[in-house]
Amino acid sequence: MIPSAHAVIATRVLQREAALLDERRWDEWIALFAADCEYWVPTWRTEAELTTDPQRELSHIYYASRAGLEDRLVRIRSGRSPATTPLRRTAHCVSNIELTGAGETHLEVRSTFANHVFDPHHRTQIVLFGWSEHRLEYGSAGWLIARRKIVLQNDQLPAMIDIYCL
Amino acid sequence: MIEGVNARMIRGMDTRYLEQLVDDRPADGVFRVHADVYASSELFELEQKHVFERTWIFLGLESQLPRPNDYLVTWIGRLPVLVTHAADGVRRAFLNVCRHKGTLLCRLESGNSRFHVCPYHGWAYDATGRAVDIKDQASGGYAEAFSGDDHNLVPLGAFAAYKGLLFGSVSADVPPLEDFLGDLKFFLDLAMEQGPQGMEFVPGRIGFTYNGNWKAQLDNSSDAYHLTSTHVSFMEVQRRRADLVSGHQEARQFDWKKRFEQEGGAYTFRNGHNAIWLNQSESSKRPIFSQIAEVRDRVGELKAEWMLRLRNLTVFPSMQIADSTSLLIRTFRPVAVDRTEMRYYCLAPIGEAADVRAWRLRQFEDFFNVSGFATPDDTTMYEDMAVGLKASQIGFVQGYSRGIAVQVSGADALARAAGVAPVSSAHGMFDLQAETWGHALYREWARLMRTGAAGDPAWAHAVGGPR
Ligand code: FES
Ligand SMILES: [Fe+2]
Repeated sequence: MIPSAHAVIATRVLQREAALLDERRWDEWIALFAADCEYWVPTWRTEAELTTDPQRELSHIYYASRAGLEDRLVRIRSGRSPATTPLRRTAHCVSNIELTGAGETHLEVRSTFANHVFDPHHRTQIVLFGWSEHRLEYGSAGWLIARRKIVLQNDQLPAMIDIYCL
Repeated sequence: MIEGVNARMIRGMDTRYLEQLVDDRPADGVFRVHADVYASSELFELEQKHVFERTWIFLGLESQLPRPNDYLVTWIGRLPVLVTHAADGVRRAFLNVCRHKGTLLCRLESGNSRFHVCPYHGWAYDATGRAVDIKDQASGGYAEAFSGDDHNLVPLGAFAAYKGLLFGSVSADVPPLEDFLGDLKFFLDLAMEQGPQGMEFVPGRIGFTYNGNWKAQLDNSSDAYHLTSTHVSFMEVQRRRADLVSGHQEARQFDWKKRFEQEGGAYTFRNGHNAIWLNQSESSKRPIFSQIAEVRDRVGELKAEWMLRLRNLTVFPSMQIADSTSLLIRTFRPVAVDRTEMRYYCLAPIGEAADVRAWRLRQFEDFFNVSGFATPDDTTMYEDMAVGLKASQIGFVQGYSRGIAVQVSGADALARAAGVAPVSSAHGMFDLQAETWGHALYREWARLMRTGAAGDPAWAHAVGGPR
């Protein structure tokens, strides 16, 4: 039996991650991730099968540490990326949050996302949807995201996607 | 502005109008392309027929179909195509269309199957394209005439391979593939000969759609001029990775500042192809570098040296290879005048060492992915071009002018040393950023459109006769 306190923690972290992205509070967002976190968006190998090994197969994004996410913020803040200016507005909807594992200092969480992304420049909008697998770990900084795997179900992508769309 | 442009003339396939769209006057130092070329939906319809259905189109790699009964599904323009590998060891290409009522036959992008059974009424074909079963034929009350009909899959007009690259043409009126590729073959070899056991696509599907004309992508791969403006944020990230040793170190690249002190150039070839190159001061930061001794022994000093240069090539009209941060094959498929479907493939040596493969992947994802740092800035420009180019009033765009005064006809010294005979060569420091590569593309576009509209054959020396 998983104690309900764990479910409360998982929900709080995931909802906070979503809200910070929507509100573009980048520093607080990145502080949710452990320095050695893994951030992985695998590609689909076929219509039915996902890739399984980021060292041998192509990913949409694969970072073995938070440094990759830091690069994203440099770009977002540069104001010099046409794809990033003006920034898309997003609404990250996270639901179906389910604890799939728990220990003294870690939680495994599965959730479903449907992220709405509006491009105020071209006045177009898309929804990116799929599921996330989070591993949360407890340490001196509290509960941090040690791993996030994002399974993007609609992978015929628009002209750009960035970290804040996921 | 062109006099007398109107939709009626285009529908009448007025060749005079088509001729005016590409203003090609070498003696005057002028090469201009009219805005309508990227924005007119009438021209787009004609392109499908006159360009995409009358020349060789890249379909995939032989290594995507290694075993008997492997197949893959792709496109030529808007036509669905099936490539098979039959038990007789022969690869073939067909329209991926059932002969019964025209339903799409194979519905998965790839697979292995001895038979292809149409899901609608169950007609079955083998990998040679033969209709092996007309379901319930005996009880079907068919007239005599039916058995006289050809029920087999419709083969492409032409299908051939070069160095593991598969090409097909809807029309049989095309030159032999190697003639079509011409001296661009040297640049194709530089990509396809990197691995001692051949080349493969790394698994993983990257596809995206942008709201713009396919020619925006056609141009961009050769366009060195946009790097220092479109990609400044990418370069800022790279600078930070190098100088501060922070950020995503697995994708850290050569020093972009040094790139701007390098020599580079552009070649045009017959039949619409082009290639650009740039010397690279930090060849150690290229995935192939760790294997360079083996490569040198196998392909020779000259080719090995060329492999360490940055190179982008275009096989007109819809296939590109970029060998910069890693090795990419890109294909694009026009869906509408302002809508283009892209596929990106990570090309790598078969049997590559695990650590080199991982590094290659990180480089590829960082630069080329539409979820990466460079491509989205390009595609955003394509979408903005589609907005701007609706203004036919601007007349001719001026984007093929750089390098005209310094280009030479035929080979420069570097091409001569490689035994390559381009149509033109432009050579200078990085900041030349020649745009002469565009002349090959739009001369061929204009030629195919003009001959198509006039009802003339596209090619003088074709593989097969008319079908
Ligand atoms: S359409 Fe294919 S069997 Fe009828
Ligand atoms: Fe670019």
